[in-house]
Order: sequence, then structure tokens, then C-alpha cells
Amino acid sequence: MKKVMGAALGILTAIGGFVDIGDLVTNAVVGSRFGLSLAWVVAVGVVGICLFASMAGRVAAVSGRATFEIVRERLGPRVAGANVVASFAITLLTLTAEIGGIALALHLASSVEPRLWIPVAGLAVWLVLWRVKFEVMENVAGLMGLLLVGFAVALFLLGPDWGELLRQAVPPSPPGTEHAATYWYYAVALFGAAMTPYEVFFFSSGAVEERWTAKDLATNRINVLIGFPLGGLLSLSIAACAAVVLLPAGIEVSALSQIVLPVAQAGGPLLLAVVIVGIVAATFGAALETALSSGYSVAQYLGWSWGKFRRPAHAARFHVTMILAVLLGVGILMTSVDPVMVTEMSVVFSAVALPLTYVPILVVANDPQYMGRYVNGRFVNALGTVYLVIVVAAALAAVPLMIATGAGS
Amino acid sequence: MTRERIVDARLHLLSRQVLDADGEPVRAVDDLELTGPDGQEARPGEAVRVGAILVGPSLFTRLFGGAVLASRLPRIAWSDVAHVGTAIELSVRSDELDADWVELWLRDHLVGRIPGGRHDPEADG
Amino acid sequence: MNVGDLLDAHVEEPEGARVGVVVDVRFALAVTEPEGEGGEEDRENPDAPLSEHTATRDEVGAARLVGLLVSPRSAGSFLGYERTDVRSPWPVPQLVRRRHRGTFLVDWADVAEVRTGSEPVVVRLAAGYERRSPAL
Repeated sequence: MKKVMGAALGILTAIGGFVDIGDLVTNAVVGSRFGLSLAWVVAVGVVGICLFASMAGRVAAVSGRATFEIVRERLGPRVAGANVVASFAITLLTLTAEIGGIALALHLASSVEPRLWIPVAGLAVWLVLWRVKFEVMENVAGLMGLLLVGFAVALFLLGPDWGELLRQAVPPSPPGTEHAATYWYYAVALFGAAMTPYEVFFFSSGAVEERWTAKDLATNRINVLIGFPLGGLLSLSIAACAAVVLLPAGIEVSALSQIVLPVAQAGGPLLLAVVIVGIVAATFGAALETALSSGYSVAQYLGWSWGKFRRPAHAARFHVTMILAVLLGVGILMTSVDPVMVTEMSVVFSAVALPLTYVPILVVANDPQYMGRYVNGRFVNALGTVYLVIVVAAALAAVPLMIATGAGS
Repeated sequence: MTRERIVDARLHLLSRQVLDADGEPVRAVDDLELTGPDGQEARPGEAVRVGAILVGPSLFTRLFGGAVLASRLPRIAWSDVAHVGTAIELSVRSDELDADWVELWLRDHLVGRIPGGRHDPEADG
Repeated sequence: MNVGDLLDAHVEEPEGARVGVVVDVRFALAVTEPEGEGGEEDRENPDAPLSEHTATRDEVGAARLVGLLVSPRSAGSFLGYERTDVRSPWPVPQLVRRRHRGTFLVDWADVAEVRTGSEPVVVRLAAGYERRSPAL
């Protein structure tokens, strides 16, 4: 019984942890403008993150080396340095978006201005990183993040035309009002939102720190393979809610209040409250993971001691890096920049950053000296090469599409 | 039984993580110092071996294309190396090496001063 | 002299013709297998971290300089695929191999001179030097 509970906890945490502010905003925006015609991208992204995370986890567990140590070894100090700077910048951007998301959700729940919540959110994130036993926080945030299933509940309560939704998705039929370039821009954004790089840094660093056994690796693989697709379904329900309520009304998403409008409409204030708690939990959990990832990337590249299980005094530079990252995120948000816009930029740049860590992991996963008999099998390699092409294509197309479509306007 | 294992510097040694005897990270390998027999200057055509691992702040200098004075880099004698695998594991503990002053300074003046900085997050309470 | 001085050095034949660039330096590690450990049973212990299953537990002794790896191309050999027969992930190893075709190993005994004073460093090979296979 205890084993089943443990396994369930892992899967549930993976589902709740999959959705962050990037998924929330991007799926809602896409649903409100394109209906479900980009649903296939969520599917592609989910398979991709399952592949990437399980490969990175296996590499970390077998070799005992985390992602950015591998990047430094394989690319040499100069190229790896540029890689780390870019990865850190994008992780910082994502962290900023997550803290912004916490503040926006708290604003929805209270009538207190988001700007006042921002420093509170930043402080709360740091306090947890500093003091709280990490596993506790991860499980709490993950399970409470599951409350986002309120979106799926809302979808059913809205009684949509399922046939119409299916028709939009398969085969993908974008509405005629949108330009093809905008469609592909949002495809890249949705892909970046599903395949968040920080998830992988976090996962692989955990595998090293916790010194995974074969059993741990198998457990985590199951969590990923079941949890992430279910998280993808949750993302799709967010898009579908927007497709059903916002698309026909021509409401374009630019604020969190619009994203939760379908929930309020379907289930009233009670369901809305449940979903808001879910949003706070999911974004808080994601903020913790991105802050840790910002520390991991710098500390691993420079060879410092790091770890969420270490006393802060024994990983001083690692903790100082995270404090600085949270301060920078809070600082950026206090300039009154729109957190939703920051989120939209963070997902597109996540797509740009993906090859930086995907390629070294894919290469190392095939290195017999590193992996022994745990090298990639034929199937994983075939899939890995397919995704190599997809990931590189998305990264190259992202910025040109962003410029051509004026960031999707 | 002793045998020889072939390794290449760039592929297997440079930029690899150095861990001390307790598995704690020390630094990354920046360079390898070569010596001749009996610790003399390394010379072409004669027997040469690795004398020491050089770790240290030369990273930033190398990034910007400069060259660092060899005397400024912390050295780890090759005789202190125990295993060469995905990382380079030493047989000594890092307190015996030149510990990084930035880490110590931050520990004593910043992180250690904030309440809870020395608390073990995995302990109960 | 450090390994860093040798890497990316220009390599010349005895008469002065340029032959390539040093892309790597090869060493022979004297390794001793650890004394009697249950071997296979220990390695498959399910409660041990997975990293211990593939870790090399050989004790490392001296690292003897064997020779220099020279490539006709000036860019550093990315990942060393021309020295191994790893085939995945396609197409990365195949492309790297094509780019660095012609890479060879030269014994340290065949090195006549290393001019560290010049910028870049120049390695002059001895007369009658042999080009060996770069395979690991």
C-alpha cells in the first residue's frame, strides 16, 4: 500500500509540476485565437519532454554528472561559457515570469495590486529555498497544483461541442483570420512552453544529488511517462476552455483574469477559488525549480559545490547565485513590465535555448565510456534524432518568426 | 595487476570535474602540468608525464584570450589522483588543498550570518 | 610546459612544411585493478547508486605522455569521433569524422622541438616520423 501511495505521489507531483505560468498563458492565448488547431504541438512537446527528461535522468544517474558539468566537458570552456550565459539568462527570464505569475494569481484572489505581491512572492520563494525541506515543498506544490484540474472540470461543465473541438484539432485547421506565420510562431511558443529546459536541469541535478539507484531511475521514468502526458492533457483543457469561451467572443488573452474567465463562467466563485489556489501552487513550485536551476547551471559549470540538500553554508556561492537571481527577477518585475508579456517571451526563448542542453545530453547518452551498457538503445536514438531536427528547427525559426509577426500580434 | 589505459587530454581530462576524497566538488581541470623524469622540465623526445592538475581562476582569463602565470594557479599533484572516470577523484580531502577564498568569504560574511545558513535542510525541524 | 601550451599548436614537418594542428594530447594511465571485490555481485547491488555500476574503480598511477594527435583541420576536434567508432546520434559522428579525416597520432619520441616562445606555439617533428592510427 505504501509503495502504491509513493508511486501515486510521484505521478501526481509530476502532473501538477508540469503546468507552469508558461503553459497556462500560452495555452490560453492559443485557445483564444486558434482554438484547438495547435493541439498537435502540445502532443509533440509532451513526447519531447518525456524523451529529454528521461534521457537526462539516465545520464545523470549513471554517470553521476549533472547537465552543466557535461556541457562544460563536451563543449570546452569558451563555447560552454556562452552556453551557460544564454541558459542562465533564459532561466532567469522564466523565473521572472513565474514570480510574476504568483503575484498575478494572488492579485486575483485578493484585491491587492500585483506590484505589492511581487516582493512578497520573491521573499517566499527564497525562504523556501533557504529553509524548507525540499521534498515537502515539492510534494505540497505538486499536489496543490493538481487543483488546476478545475480547468478540465470547467470544460465539462461548459458542455462544449466536442465534435467542433475535435474538428479544430485533427486535422489542424487554424481559423482563416490568422496569418500562417502567426500560427507557426505560436507553435514554437507552445513547444517551448511544453519542453521547458529548466525542468531537465532540475531533474538531472536531483538524480545526481540523490544518487539514484536503478529503482529510483525506473520510478522516475514512470512518473515522467505517466505524469507529463497527463499534464499535457491539463494544458489542453486550458486551451479548450479558452477555445470554447474566449474564441467565439473574440476575447484575446492578455491578462490572468481572462484566462480564468471560462472557469468562473462554468463553476462560479467556488471553482474559480480552487483554480486560483492551483495557479498559485503550480507557479510557486515552478519558481522554486527555476531558481534552483539558475543556481545549478552556474555552479555546475564553474565546478562549485551545489545542492538543495546541502547546508547553505556548504554551498555558499550556489545560494548567493540563487538569491541574486530572485532579486533580479523581482527587480525586473518592479519596473511594471507586464508579467504576461514576460511569460510569452520566456517560452519563445526557451525554444531557442533547447538545443544548448539537448545536444550535449544526446551526445553523452551515446558515449559508451560514460554510460557503459546504459547507452541509448536504437529506438530512443531514432526518436532522439527526430527530436534533434525538431528542436534545432524550432530554435532557428523562433526569433525570425518573432520579428516577422511582431511577437504574435 | 597493472595495465595501461589510453586517455586523451581534451576528451577525458580537461574541463572534467575534480572531486575530493569525500566526493565534494573541488573545481574543474583547467590544464595539466607536464614534467620530465625526476620532476625536471618536460622535453621533447624524452619521457614526459603529468606532474599536476592545474585548477583555478584561469577560466575567465582563458575566456578572454589571455594567459595566466603558471605560478598563480592552484596545483594538485598528480600523485593525489585516485580514480579517473567521468570525474577525477582525488585521494585527499579538499581542506588540505587551497580552498577557494570566495566560497569561504561568502560563508563567513554572508551566508553564515543569515539565520538558518548553517542549518541542515535535511534534518527534522 | 603544460598541455594547454601544446593544444592548438601548429605542427611542422622537419623541413618546415605545415602538417596540421595539435587537437589533443594522448596519455597512458597506469591503472591497477582493485583487490578482490566480489566483482559482478557487487556491481549489480540494487541498493547502490547507479553511478557505481559503471564507475571505474581502478587506482590510477602515473600518466605517461604517449604522443600528440594532429589534424589537418585547424578547428579543434569536437568530441573525438574520428578516434572512436561510435555511430550515434546520427549525423553528428559522421559529419565530425568527415571533417577530421586525416587525423593521425605522432609519438612523443618523434617530436624534435616545441617552440613555446612563438605565438602560436610550433611543434616541429623529427625526421622519419611515423603517422599512427588515432584510434583509442
